[in-house]
Amino acid sequence: MRVEPAVKKETLYILGMSLILSVVMELIFWAVGHMDYTVPLGNLLGVVIAVLNFFLMGLTVQNSIGLDEKAASEKLKLSQKLRMLMVIALAAVGVGLPCFNSLAVVIPLFFPRIAIALWPLFNKEQSPAQDDQTVD
Amino acid sequence: MELAIGIILAGCAIGAGLALIAGIGPGIGEGNAVAKACEAIGRQPESKGAVTSTMIMGCAIAETTGLYGLVIGILLIFVAPNLFVNILKNAVK
Repeated sequence: MRVEPAVKKETLYILGMSLILSVVMELIFWAVGHMDYTVPLGNLLGVVIAVLNFFLMGLTVQNSIGLDEKAASEKLKLSQKLRMLMVIALAAVGVGLPCFNSLAVVIPLFFPRIAIALWPLFNKEQSPAQDDQTVD
Repeated sequence: MELAIGIILAGCAIGAGLALIAGIGPGIGEGNAVAKACEAIGRQPESKGAVTSTMIMGCAIAETTGLYGLVIGILLIFVAPNLFVNILKNAVK
């Protein structure tokens, strides 16, 4: 299956930002004095879950573009439920096993949200809406 | 004491189940967003890349709402019972 450039670009952006935020999180753990081998392991698992979830969502969006409205809507609803189950299972493994730090597993799940909040800072291209405003 | 611990565990389990109801909303929202995006791309096929990119980001934001519920559920299952039982034991002492 071919991955569209838009999906690839956004996934790479989320991955990059997640790695940067991971370093920040580990520095905070180190500064607080809770740094041990469970933190990087938990961090790795959390980032893998978050980025995999985002990538699978991108793939579903890409595949549902050509469908009719109702089929696309149903496909994304099913995908969201399955991805949520995957996140629940993997996060429960991360929180339940003692070799992973619970906080270090849970916090990276929100890295994509933070990365999207910072998206306008890194995406300087004008959106079509802004173009319309400048024309007016 | 056993009854109180049982109530705590039951409360945590029920709370976790209720928190995971938050997972339903993002699915509906994402479904609607994609349906409208399909309509928009049907009208303007040349905007496919921009619409896909924006929609992925929008879906990720919607997804976070479900993750809040998930995290609260995990905390209620794995962290809260021990915490509340310890508080109860300290109060009894």
